[in-house]
This record gives sequence, C-alpha cells and structure tokens, in this order.
Amino acid sequence: MSELAALSNSYQNWYRFSRNPTAVIGLLIVVLSLLAALLAPYITPFPDHVGAIVDFRNRHQPPSLEHWFGTDNVGRDILTRVIFGLRVSLMLAFVVLVIAVPFGTAMGLLAGYFGGWTEIVIMRLTDIALALPPLIMALAVAAVLEPSLMNAMLAIASLWWTWHTRLVYSMVRQIRALEYVEAAETLGASKTHILFREILPNCVSAIAVKTSLDAGFVILIGASLSFLGLGIQPPTPDLGTMVSDGASFLPDYWWESLLPGTAILFVALGFNLLGDGLRDLFDVEDVR
Amino acid sequence: MEFLGFLARRLAWSLLVLFGLSVVIFVIARVVPGDPARMALGPRASAEQVADLQEKLGLNLPLYQQYARFVGGLARGELGQSLLTERSVNLDIRTTFPATLELVLATVFIAFLFGVPLGVAAARWKDRWPDNLVRAFAIVAAVMPTFFIALLLQVLAGYVLQILPTTGQLPTGTEFEANITGLLIVDALLTGDLNVAFEAMRHLLLPALALSLATMGQVARITRASMIDVSRQDYIEAARAFGVPDRVRLFKYQLRPAFVPPLTIMGLEFASLIGGAFVVELIFSWPGMAAYGIRAITQKDLNAIMGVVMVSGLFFVMVNLLIDVLVGFVDPRIRIRGRRA
Amino acid sequence: MTKRFLATTATLAFATALMAGPAAAQNVVTMNTVQIFGTIDPAKISDYTDYMAAVNLYDSLVTVDSSGNLIPQIAESWVVSPDATEVTFKLRADATFTDGTPILASDVVYSFERLLRINQGPANLFAGVVEPGAVTAVDDTTVSFKLSKTFAPFMATVPALMIVNADLVESNKGADDGQTWLADNVAGSGAYLLDSWDRGSQMVIKRYADYYGEFLENPIDEVRWIITNDEATVKALAASGELTMSSPFQSPDTHKALVDMGRFRMESQPTTTAFYLKLNSKSAPTDDIHIRRAIAYATDYATIREVIFPGEPMTTVLPAGFADFWNADVPAPTFDMAKAAEEVALSSYAGQQIPITLSYVAGTLFEEEISLLMQANLESLGFVVTQQPEPWNRVTEIAADVATTPNVNQIFFGPTYPSPDSMFFTQFHSAAAGTWASMEWLQDPAIDALIDQARATGDVAEQARLYKEVQALMAENGVAVPLLAQTVQHTWTSACRASVPCRCSPSTMTWCVTAGPALDPLTEARARQGPALQCARASGATQPIW
Repeated sequence: MSELAALSNSYQNWYRFSRNPTAVIGLLIVVLSLLAALLAPYITPFPDHVGAIVDFRNRHQPPSLEHWFGTDNVGRDILTRVIFGLRVSLMLAFVVLVIAVPFGTAMGLLAGYFGGWTEIVIMRLTDIALALPPLIMALAVAAVLEPSLMNAMLAIASLWWTWHTRLVYSMVRQIRALEYVEAAETLGASKTHILFREILPNCVSAIAVKTSLDAGFVILIGASLSFLGLGIQPPTPDLGTMVSDGASFLPDYWWESLLPGTAILFVALGFNLLGDGLRDLFDVEDVR
Repeated sequence: MEFLGFLARRLAWSLLVLFGLSVVIFVIARVVPGDPARMALGPRASAEQVADLQEKLGLNLPLYQQYARFVGGLARGELGQSLLTERSVNLDIRTTFPATLELVLATVFIAFLFGVPLGVAAARWKDRWPDNLVRAFAIVAAVMPTFFIALLLQVLAGYVLQILPTTGQLPTGTEFEANITGLLIVDALLTGDLNVAFEAMRHLLLPALALSLATMGQVARITRASMIDVSRQDYIEAARAFGVPDRVRLFKYQLRPAFVPPLTIMGLEFASLIGGAFVVELIFSWPGMAAYGIRAITQKDLNAIMGVVMVSGLFFVMVNLLIDVLVGFVDPRIRIRGRRA
Repeated sequence: MTKRFLATTATLAFATALMAGPAAAQNVVTMNTVQIFGTIDPAKISDYTDYMAAVNLYDSLVTVDSSGNLIPQIAESWVVSPDATEVTFKLRADATFTDGTPILASDVVYSFERLLRINQGPANLFAGVVEPGAVTAVDDTTVSFKLSKTFAPFMATVPALMIVNADLVESNKGADDGQTWLADNVAGSGAYLLDSWDRGSQMVIKRYADYYGEFLENPIDEVRWIITNDEATVKALAASGELTMSSPFQSPDTHKALVDMGRFRMESQPTTTAFYLKLNSKSAPTDDIHIRRAIAYATDYATIREVIFPGEPMTTVLPAGFADFWNADVPAPTFDMAKAAEEVALSSYAGQQIPITLSYVAGTLFEEEISLLMQANLESLGFVVTQQPEPWNRVTEIAADVATTPNVNQIFFGPTYPSPDSMFFTQFHSAAAGTWASMEWLQDPAIDALIDQARATGDVAEQARLYKEVQALMAENGVAVPLLAQTVQHTWTSACRASVPCRCSPSTMTWCVTAGPALDPLTEARARQGPALQCARASGATQPIW
C-alpha cells in the first residue's frame, strides 16, 4: 500500500505547493542561487576576475553591455564577483545550520522529553543565549579570537541552536501528551525508540520550515559581519565586503555597493519565501 | 497576588540571565590572545609602560581573582576603566547610551505607528490587494540587510532628494546640553528649545526608519495574524450579530487583545534590534553606545566590550520584563498563565 | 492630537530658525577626523587626533614650524651647553595659563616629572635621556634640562613636553596624579579653550582671546572636529554645507567628489612620511636577496603613485624632504618585470612555486588595491600569494615575532620628531626590532653602528655623511622597498580658504594647512600608527611633532 500512497501523497503536496506563488518563487530563487553558485566558473562573463586581476584603466565603469553590473575600484567585473560571492554566503549558511540545527534539535528533544534538571539547565541556557544580540556576540568573539568570518559564524552557531531547541522543546511537550506516545511508553518501547521514531518525525516539518527561514537570516548576519569588516580573504569576493567597499564611493559609483546589496536581499528573500511556502504546506503556524 | 508571584518569577529569570551573561562575557574576554595593555598604550609604548598598566588593571592576577573583581564591580555597578577613552566605562556608557535609547525608542515607536495600522488594514481586507501588499512588504523588510536599507535611505534622502541630514544627532556646532533626561528631543522640548528639538527629530528620522523597517514588517504581520485570529472568536461573532458598528468592533474588541502578540514579539526581536543599531549607528555616525561598542571591539578594549555587551543584555532583560507587565495589563489572562510557559 | 502637536512644534521651530539672525561673523572651521580623540591629557597623548587637540590646548617650551625648524613658544630663548648635555630655557615673562596665572619654571619641572610618573604617551622619548630630577628650576623664568648622555635629537623632542598648570592640577590631583581630572579638563596655556567634547562624535575648541601669544588678523575663532572615517558621510557633510575642510585621510575619490561640488578646492602638500613595502628578511622566501630584488622590480611604482595613492617618487629609504641628509646617488627603483624574472631565476627558490604572504591594514581600500596589484604581478612570476589583511592593532602584535611577521608589509612611517634619527633609529636599528616600524628584521650590526655614531655627534655634516651611507646600504640589501613619499591632500571650501592665508611663522595665529615633517596616513586603524601631526595647530603656527 505504502508506495502508492506515498507517491500520491507527495504528488498532492507538490500540487498544493505549486499553487502557492510565493513558495514557488522562493524555490526558484533558491535553486537559481544554488545553481549559479555551483556553476559560477561557467556562467560568469569574467571568471578570472575573482582572482588576482587588476585593471586600473577600467575602474569605476558604470553598468554597460559588457559589464552588466559595472566594474569596481580595481576594474573587476561586479556581476562575476557577485555570483561568486553567493558561494561564500551559501557556505556560511550551511556551516551555521549544519551545526546549529542537529545540536539544537537534540537539546530540544532532551529537554522536552526528560524534563527535570535536564530541562531546567538546557532551557535556562537558551534564555541566556536569547538575551545576547547575535551580531554583537559574533563581533566580540571574533575580535577576541582570530578575527575571521569563520570564527564569527561559529559564534553565531553557538547562539543559533537555542532557537531550534526552543522550537523542538515546545513541540515535544505537545506531542508527549498525545495518546500514541503514552501508548508506546506503556508498551515498554525504549526511550530512543520513542524519541527518534515517535517524536522526532513529527517535528521534522517544523524544523524544515525553520531551517529554511533561518538560512535567509544567517546569510543576512554573515553579510552584516563582513560589512563591518570581518570579510573573507581577498581577492575572493564576498557580498558584504563588496557593499562596504563600494559604500565609500556612494553616491557617484552607486552600482559598486547597491547591486551586491540587492544580491544579498535576493538570496535571503528566496529562502524566506520558501520557508513561508513550506509553512503553509505543512500547516505549522507558529514557526517563525 | 498571582501577579506578584508572576513578577517574582520573571525577576528571578532576569537575574539568572544576567548572571549567565556575566560568566559568558568574562570567559570570552579572558581568552584573548594578545595584550590589552599593550593595545591601550599604542605601538610606541615601552615594555615598562606596558608592565605598569598591566599591574594597574590587575591583568597579572589569577583568573578567578579577576572574575571576582569583575563581578564585584558589576554588583557595585562599576564596569571598570576603558583603555581607550581613559575614563570609567560607566561614564562612557552613560554618555553614549541615551543616544542609543533615543534611536531605539524612536524605532519601536515608528514600527508600531505604521506596523499596527498596516496589520489592521491587511486583516480588514484579507486576501485583497492591501493584504497582499502588506504581506509582501513584511517579507521584503524582514530580509533587507539593515546596512543596505541604511545606505539606500542615505543615498535617497541625503543625496538624491537632499531633504534630510544623514549624519549625527544635531547640526555641527549646535550648542545644547541634554542633561535632564539625557534624551535630546525630550530635553529640548522640556527646555522649550524648539529649534533644537526640530533639528534633533530631523536627524533621528532616517536612522530610526532604517532600523525600524524589519520590525515594522514583523509587527504588521503579527498584528494581521492575531486580528484574524481574534475575529474568529465567539465574542466578536456575537458583537457582529448584535450589530456593533464595524469600526467600534475593530478597534474596541479586536485590536486590544490583538495587541498582545506584536508586543511579545517585540521583546524577542529586541536583541536583534540592538544588533541592528550597531550597523545603523555606524553608517549614520550616531554618537551612541553601539558606535562606542564597535570601537571597543576593534581596539580590543576589554572592559568596554564587556560593559557594552552586559548593558545590551540588561537592556534586553529590562525591556522583556516591562513587556511582560504591559502584556499583563492589556490581557489579564496572561498574568496567570505566564507567557513563557 | 499628537500629530497636530508635532506639526505645531515643527512650524514653530521652523519660524524660530528663520528669525534667528546671522551670528556675529565668526571664523569657524569644521573639519572631520578619521578617529576619535582618545585623550587630551598631555602626559598620555599618543596619536594624531590626541595630539591635534592637545597642541591647541597646551603650549610647549618650543614648537616646530612648517619646515621642521624649532621656534620659541613658552621659552623665548635657549642655550645648549658646549658638551650638548645641558639645555637651559629662558621663559617668556608674559606667558600665562588660560586661568591668568603666570607660567613659571616650576610648572615645567612639574609637567616633566608628571610625564615620567605616568609613563605613557611621549614619556618614552625621554627614557634614558633625561632622568627624573634632571629638570630643575634655576629661577622663576629659567629652567634647565640635564641629559644623561649626548643625544643629538634631544631638542627635536622638546615640543612633545606640554606644560600643565601645576597649581591647578595639584588641586585636582585625586589619587591618580590628576589623570581623571585632566581627561576632561584643560590646565594649559594654549591659544584655544575646550568648548565641548562628545567622545564618539565631535570636539569643539574656541579661541582664547587673552592668549599671551599674538594672533594674526582674521584668526580662526572656532574649530569643530567631526569624527567620522566614512567616505560617504564626509561627502554628505560637505554637500550639506556643514563641512569646511576634509581630513587629509580621505580617499582620492572623495577629494575629487568634493572638488566636483564646486565649493571646494584641494591643496596638496608633499610630506616626509614614507610609504614602504617592508620585507621580512628572516623568513622564506624574502630571506633571499634576489627574491627581495624581484619584488622591488615587480612593483608598479607609477600606478601606485598616480592612480592609487598620491605621492612623490621616493628613491632611498629617506624621503627627499630631508634635503641635507638625502643621498642623491642612490638609483631609484624601477618597475621591470623582465628583470624581476631574472632575479627570481637567480634565487635559491628558482624553478618552484614560491609561497609568499602580502599583508596590509584591513579595511584600508587603497592598501588592498596595492596588494592586489602586487599579487597580479607576483603570480605571473611564479609566486603563490596569500593575502593577509590585518586590523591595525593585530599588525602591532604580529610584528613582535619574526615568525608571525608576514613576508611583505605595507607600512607608512613619518618622523615622530623632526630629525632624520627618527626615520633611521626607529625603523632600521636593531633596538627597534619587534615593532611595526621595523618589520624587516634587519638586525645589521654595520647599520646599527652607523646610526649610533650619528646619534652621538652634534656635527650635522658628519651626520649627513653617515645617514647617506646607511641609505646606500639599505638600497643594497633591499629590505625596505620605498614606494612613495606621501602627498597630503586637504580639501577646503573656497570661502574658508579666503580667510586662511597659509603663513606659518611662530607668531601667526592662523590655521595653517601646510604639512610639516610628520604626516601619518589613513583610516582609524592606520592613524594609530602613531602621532602624526600635520596642521594640527589651529592656533596657527605649526605642526609640532614628536
């Protein structure tokens, strides 16, 4: 029975998803950004402009047919660098979430399921983490350790898991009270079985929604950090640094900061729309 | 009585958070590679000069003693000496914080001033064009990087239209001491200096707008959702059946309870709002605590970093406490349930 | 209701603004600085903004004019003993502090002792040269400095000793030698008074009408410093008419944008601040002289000077501004990729990929541009380049150890006192090893000996001979590639300029834009390299330096 049912189920889901215009746009943007980042060397007009290239005669050229996004202060093609810059943004989001989501989920499961001291310790920790502005923490940590974007993002990850913990925790509390979990408990199912077989699957959709929304926000924070000077090693392009470098040439050479800025907006928007769409699809209202 | 118990629990929570913060901050600040004393004195200082300052700052004491000094100072409300400005961090924060507070208050004010009506409009015309417009705005505003909004506004209002100032709190050379409340606009109004008040508002507008857009979108979104939620409640249906006029129903019965979720959201958003203030203050040369914090961070001014993070955390905790009380007044049911249950 | 109130307020305010008549014609200069004023305590000042404020609020015994000559200030004359170990200053009888009390020899003694006690800022200039107790008041207007050894550049360091009002500081002494009090208050005799100071955003000083020195006609009445290192902000302030003068540390594009507004004109002044590529001579691959020469040949001097950062050509490690000491026989470095390739082939690293690190101050756009230019050229020679942008305070850390010092470092260095000794001793003497100014790790006994000899002699011709020899040796070993001597650019509003005849003599109390012997560069971080003092002096005269 199950295969056919699953198929028709996923088809139904896809149908509902595809009827939601914002979700589809979101998915399109996300896929497009991922593809562009992956295929950057093949689709960009001047792929060598991510490396050690300077062309001072062509600096500060406005957008034209040759350079759609214009050129920067050392004469490099901005469109090329924006597309390559997506790589850094996406990688950062990946690094933070790959740490924060599993860890946060695990903590949430523990706190919600076991209660008692486990719950108190974990949940008070999340309270503390919540009171720290992530941007400021990342800056402070990076200033104190080796000032690099990676360190800053690890600092972000060390705060970010708490959001997932809180989400999973509240879901576990609800699910635990449901009859089938109680039934499984009375039947003598092991704790791991209940946690990973009965409870976790019911949290997955909510976690997926939150992860997608998060990806957008992590990209924003990463961009803010590199805007504030914690960029990646040049000449490798990253979007926040491009905005901040270009900002010193505002308003005359506006394209040097505003176009990379728009690119950040674009990617973050994609993940956000996708998350919104998934939320409607899975019908998990309270995930933000 | 219930309310007092609720308050007591919230207070205990606040203290716990603050204690946790102090530990986190201290640990971070003391794993620094490099020497804060050398950095404070600048590259031309001699070794004796550095050793001298280390002694003065207690940097050569064992870690636990340094923490004791730090917490002891915190308990007395002393944050130590800033290496950078050569003054007590208290004094630095006291002089810079009002500007940040003014910015944040204005931001919250603007966010609610526009966010709530937008949300109400969206709920009133659900699924029609105003709704779609508001929802689109909320989504885009949420993902606009703060620095990008700030730069856009600066270019637009400062260069293209040339209608608003883009730097600082007042025109240079304005002679005005805000020494009543510390808040420039309030003090200017209190002393009757309307010119200064007007200028201060003009200067405040762009940074506050830049900082408020994301929050405004959130407020609109949540207001809309909770208005719709409330409109499905029985008592609203009853009001409708009794023929209570639309407007009265909307504002008297629907809006008040619908006000709670945006207020609660505000509390949680607050941390990221303070983070955003860092970027905005930098771009608009706003003489606030965030700009001070950035300087402290780039110069590894440890006491100042700890002070700024601590005060940001304190600010967050206080605001959340205040919001809890407010929410309790707006919606009495909450007092008993406790909102973080 | 609220809205109406706001509207009324706005209208009223607007009306008030319209009615307020023009203030009495005042000569106000509004200038931006790229970093905050850290302190105004003359015993603690350490960078260019600190100094810029202090030098207007406090006077010294002597000061420096725009061409680097010592000129009298509080002291009207001085006598150096024949063996050059004692200097006696005669104070002006009419010199007063801004509270009206006369400046006495005892104030000088007090200021000096306090400087040594606090042991920060300029104190290290006197370390080992003048011991505590070696400054004595002979009578009320005569003060004597006894040196513990012959030290040729001593007089050049005297402007760094600013005189505080001893009675005033004593009565506000507190537990910390008046440090708390002097952090916010001024006890000096300068031509300007501190009017307001908001640490994060601005400082305003106003002319002290009863200054004991003379003001020229049409002096500057008020100076407002706005603190911002953001190019866009500077442009916005200029566009709104608030700014009358830019800091010299704006990018060439910003200067151009200001000039394009029509109300501004730019003035360029050559300086003696040198800009180098400092090559770590103790780590691979820059430990090989051929690699160092290859780097010098692979440097596109003309593009750097003409497109990226304004400057004059520099042929030796000493800027040509030190005319008497500059060695004209050292050939200028040239850009020649063919020769660079030949040098690489001669090196012990020939035929392999050569990893190399290029370091510069993070966030400094033009340094990044230079670093990218170097990377492009070096990679075509077979180098594998790692860019290493570091915040300025990190540079001072990594310079402390030969292992953490990168291969190639972009470093600005200007004399901190008006003597070539400042250029040579602080950069190339072994005693300086481990500092940011000495990232070559040269440690060459022959060069140390030459510098020591020059310090010990009072004979200028002999000094010149010694310094010229050092320049020849430095060209030979190639550890410091001279890129350019900085040209400083200020942008002025035309209106402002009309009232500012740039006359720099001891008694003219007019703002002067001329850049003197010391000028330090760019950006917040960069400016912390050290006291850079150009035109610091609103009170006119000059740009003292230490």
